[in-house]
Amino acid sequence: MNSDRIRKQRVAADLEEAVDEAGQLARKLGLEPYDVNYWVVDHDEMNQLIAYGGFQRRYPHWRWGMQYDRQRKQDRYTGGKAFEIVNNDDPSNAFLQESNQLADQKAVITHVEAHADFFANNEWFGLFEGRSPDDGRESRGPNAAAMLERHAERISEIMSDPEIDRDRVERFVDSVLCLEDTIDQHRPFVREPDLDDGEDVDEEVDLSELNLSDEVVEEVFDDEWLEAQAEADDDHEPVSDVLAYLRANGMQYDEETGRATEFEDWQKEVLDVLRTEAYYFAPQKMTKVMNEGWAAYWESMMMAGEAFADADEFVSYADHQARVLNSPGMNPYKLGKQLWEYVENTTNRRDVVERLLRVEGVTWRNFHDVVDFDRLEDLLAPDPRLDAIDHENPETLLDLPDEKVDREAVEGAIDGEVDLATDPWRALTYEGLAERHYSLARPQNRVFVRRIGQNELERISRYLFETERYPGVESAVADVDYAAGWDRMYEIRESHNDVTFIDEFLTQEFVDEFDYFAYEYSRATEQYHATSTDAADVKKKLLLQFTNFGKPTVEVLDGNYENRNELLLGHRYNGVALDLPQAKRALERTFDLWGRPVNLETIVKEVDDHDLKVAKRRNAEPEPVERGKLIRYDGEEFEEQDLPREAVEEIAADDVDYDTKPDDWLA
Amino acid sequence: MGLREDLDRFREVGERNRQDLSEFIQYGDLGGSRNDEIQIPIKIVDLPSFEYDQLDQGGVGQGDGDAPDQGDPVGRPQPQPGDGDEGEPGEDSGDHEYYEMDPEEFARELDEELGLDLEPKGKKVVEEVEGEYTDITRTGPNSTLDFERLFKEGLKRKLAMDFDEEFVREVLKVDGVGPDAAYEWARGENLPVSKAWLEDARREGIDRVPFRREDERYRYPETVEEYERNVVVVNIRDVSGSMREKKRELVERTFTPLDWYLTGKYDNAEFVYVAHDAEAWEVERDEFFGIRSGGGTRISSAYELTAEILDERYPWSEWNRYVFAAGDSENSSNDTEDRVIPMMSEMPANLHAYVETQPSGNAINATHAEQVEAAFSDSDDVVVSYVSSKADVTDAIYEILSTEES
Repeated sequence: MNSDRIRKQRVAADLEEAVDEAGQLARKLGLEPYDVNYWVVDHDEMNQLIAYGGFQRRYPHWRWGMQYDRQRKQDRYTGGKAFEIVNNDDPSNAFLQESNQLADQKAVITHVEAHADFFANNEWFGLFEGRSPDDGRESRGPNAAAMLERHAERISEIMSDPEIDRDRVERFVDSVLCLEDTIDQHRPFVREPDLDDGEDVDEEVDLSELNLSDEVVEEVFDDEWLEAQAEADDDHEPVSDVLAYLRANGMQYDEETGRATEFEDWQKEVLDVLRTEAYYFAPQKMTKVMNEGWAAYWESMMMAGEAFADADEFVSYADHQARVLNSPGMNPYKLGKQLWEYVENTTNRRDVVERLLRVEGVTWRNFHDVVDFDRLEDLLAPDPRLDAIDHENPETLLDLPDEKVDREAVEGAIDGEVDLATDPWRALTYEGLAERHYSLARPQNRVFVRRIGQNELERISRYLFETERYPGVESAVADVDYAAGWDRMYEIRESHNDVTFIDEFLTQEFVDEFDYFAYEYSRATEQYHATSTDAADVKKKLLLQFTNFGKPTVEVLDGNYENRNELLLGHRYNGVALDLPQAKRALERTFDLWGRPVNLETIVKEVDDHDLKVAKRRNAEPEPVERGKLIRYDGEEFEEQDLPREAVEEIAADDVDYDTKPDDWLA
Repeated sequence: MGLREDLDRFREVGERNRQDLSEFIQYGDLGGSRNDEIQIPIKIVDLPSFEYDQLDQGGVGQGDGDAPDQGDPVGRPQPQPGDGDEGEPGEDSGDHEYYEMDPEEFARELDEELGLDLEPKGKKVVEEVEGEYTDITRTGPNSTLDFERLFKEGLKRKLAMDFDEEFVREVLKVDGVGPDAAYEWARGENLPVSKAWLEDARREGIDRVPFRREDERYRYPETVEEYERNVVVVNIRDVSGSMREKKRELVERTFTPLDWYLTGKYDNAEFVYVAHDAEAWEVERDEFFGIRSGGGTRISSAYELTAEILDERYPWSEWNRYVFAAGDSENSSNDTEDRVIPMMSEMPANLHAYVETQPSGNAINATHAEQVEAAFSDSDDVVVSYVSSKADVTDAIYEILSTEES
């Protein structure tokens, strides 16, 4: 134990310099990470941390054991290597595996700094902490490690309370976990939300109190409005935060008396704890693509762009990157990184094109004919003095524009205190670094401006407000804002989540460049087929995968269903059916938290056997019939009832469509 | 404490929810397991939640330099990388969970499930295992020197001397008494004293514990003969043209659990795989169940090869032997009677088994099993078993394992 500790400290000391430098470099590049504490752990500890979601202590539960087991097996069979784990906390805690090579450790550190920036600045993370966009950097942080430790402590206490049967606690925890994703993750976390549960809503609008003229009253608050109000009172808004609803209105079922009784205190506590954790982890689940892409982007900027790894370390680094990003199938990390780069390129391109369209003689119609793209590409290249920092003659850097050069560092270099040979980035500011790494100057992006389509040119041209013209391309390029791409990326990482990110930035150009495609399952052939490479279709499928954690939305429709105190849950049907067998099992668990019969309303798709046969013969896909379904579970058995499609109109969302099957799909 | 406890709880929950053993043997996927680790799928271990119907959900893929055309079939969606990264516990890895059993546990469970009680015999003196260091010799390596004894003996001697030391010294002081006279006198008085000692004592007295070679004893481990319960299992399979897919699967379903069971029961289990059509050859396990050849069938070829292998590598005096053969009972004419049966009776083994896999009932010329059964009807180390569908597998296994001569 003792010698172990010594070894760990030594590894940590070796890394101290790398950690320190990465932090400085990250800040120069514009990242504003939480401070990060780095810990060096051995392989088994790493597996444990991963099982616990990046923390050292969690409440007792077999599911952590399952994940630990899985993690270890994955290691054993695939040689899978855990590289990093960092948790969302201020300061963040990151864990490095001691057996990793220095290059891997450096890569992990740069990656971690970017995650820590994302945690600290993305507004969705602020929802849990009560951080609002206006607070700026005044984040209080989630104080997560302490919170999870407290939860662990509390649930352990409950479990070891001799008055409480441990199995019951475990069963209760399981039941709550089944519903952990049925929360309202788009709203700020409130410990005890004020729910419109229908029992206290009885506010009649007393118009006389409003002091309005009769005409206004008649015009605005007409009978129709009043009727609508009354109906709305009757027919409460669905509640998305199912856990909160159950916390406020749920009961337990008492086996002995066969009746529902109030929750015991420990049950309320467990519900509170697990709901709080669900809200704490929600932002990470909502921003997986963005956050991972963000970290991969800045990792590669620092590692490759700024040669943070030595030449010999670099090979092993490149290897690691390849392993993370080149996994088969659709890889959210890769999608994220590609989208971020695409955002950078399109923003920079827009900036360049806006200027070119203001050059005398250039219009959106003749753009491709009159612009000399080869020359443009040369002009866009960063100032050679920024590109290759002349560390032997640092004084030459002082001739560069002020906003690009870190004067203090350059003077330090002249005095021999700052080493520009190994850390050339120290000589530059954010602006300078943005020019040095200007995306459109990279070889693989040189065609980017040339590739712009007519439609986009026209659109840019239409919204051009500056009227001042440039005499030629040179003067236009001289005005290019090299930091435009990065600035935009920083804005986006503050306000977006995966759904809005993909929705806004995934274009046909992107889908074509990276060969994304949508696929669907065919009942006729019993396998998956590619359906489309259309950006709209790819987007549909991606949004389905990332909206609401990739899960169907289930809400509370009524807590007094049929006037029998039964719970009615509604599945907001968006054209994609529920996994019914699993939904029934989830319903059984819901009963544990309601104590009285529970109902689920959904829409199912059914395909007639005969239709299926016919379709198979014709190489076509059978058309399923949609039907409403009500499933009731009373604690002992299920009862299923078909409802006509019209009866379930209220749970059907008609404005969304996730189907990408073309008509003559299989022909 | 902590994660260890969570892991134990997971095992308990997993055990509760694992697939029933017979069901697993009959219908489960045996392929995911290895000989040292048996993976039994766990039903419904992870918690349910409201999810989309996976088939109805579709998805997005990424081509490699080229996206597939509309309508092109694409593979099953791959599990996404990065699960378990920073974050979200319990995320969809999509795979089945497995309850892992080692062969010992498998054997125990199967015993319980089928009511078996196969008691393996220790056979081979594997090693003279070293027991406690309780035996003693007069020579040996320094490290086994019983220094404690040596010191004790020395000390006893010294105490004895010390007893007489002063006294003898006094004797020496008597005028005219030299060492010779004192020695004579002391011996006469039965005092333990040596002349050399007296010479020394007169010069410088005594101050060391005397170690003497005759007091040296070397400890030596007691030899314990340890019997290893070792077993060799010969799996013989007919791979000729008539053994089609279904029959092959039935053989695999019967043999594989037998292998696991015996691995679990014995300290050391070795497996020999013999494939045959009209000829026989030895193969690796990986190939064994997959091979298919076109040739005819001569079962005796396999027993010839088996006899050779057993004689050479697994002498009966040192090994428990199981010889399991399987096929569809078709054999070349007279081969069973003239060669196989005599060879089986001459080949000593704990158990000979023949498993007939004949999914469609008996073919007319498939008589091997019946002939063997008739020939050995009163012997307790030969068993014949018939498997015509997956449902028969556990019965066959029971029959085989409960037959062993006692």
